[in-house]
Amino acid sequence: MSNISYLVLFFPIVLVILLVLEACRSDDPKKIAKRAFANFGVLTAVLVLGGAFVYVINRWF
Amino acid sequence: MNTRKEIMILAFALASAIAAASIGGSWKRSLAFFAAWLLPGAGHVVMGKWKKGLFFFALLGAAYAFGMHIAGWRPVSFDDNPFYFVGQYGSGATLLVAKLRGAEKAVLSQGIHPSWFDPGLLYVCVVGLLNLVLMLNVLDVKTASAPAPAPAAPPPPAAVPPPATEKTA
Repeated sequence: MSNISYLVLFFPIVLVILLVLEACRSDDPKKIAKRAFANFGVLTAVLVLGGAFVYVINRWF
Repeated sequence: MNTRKEIMILAFALASAIAAASIGGSWKRSLAFFAAWLLPGAGHVVMGKWKKGLFFFALLGAAYAFGMHIAGWRPVSFDDNPFYFVGQYGSGATLLVAKLRGAEKAVLSQGIHPSWFDPGLLYVCVVGLLNLVLMLNVLDVKTASAPAPAPAAPPPPAAVPPPATEKTA
């Protein structure tokens, strides 16, 4: 595990947070999983796009 | 952590339970609120939602164990990070683990990269904070024994005006 970037720790903790929050809202397991993974995708996309934007700014500007 | 801080934390938990009882008007809900602080998911089990309670316990327990594994099975100390230190006490179970382990400074487990240390402490803190969310959710859980609200009666039909009668001269 010493060679793996700490960024991978983003995925499990965000999934745990989203699953807990969605489970508080709903009782339907399918709905919980669907919403949690959808929000996870959006959050990950925002993170990746934001990281790419910062990289471009720092690299060429 | 000294005894005075522990007493303050427990007094806060008890005051919260009493406040919950006054809000919900039910001692079962108050007990569930306090149980939710003691152990993640226990409040939902007390309220009859045992599947959801087990789900929460498994989820938060796994995240807590993973964070503790990274941090060398030592709880977060105030010197490590004051915010994470406070956050880990969102659950009585984490408080108990911290007491049993001595609440010494966390050390990185062998074979783990040093950059993982802060995220490991964050995992422990997030579990405590998520447990606060679960405690609040217990206040909103509807018990199975509670009678369902009666369906609203259909509105009465609008009064039909009587047909106009021909005027007689």
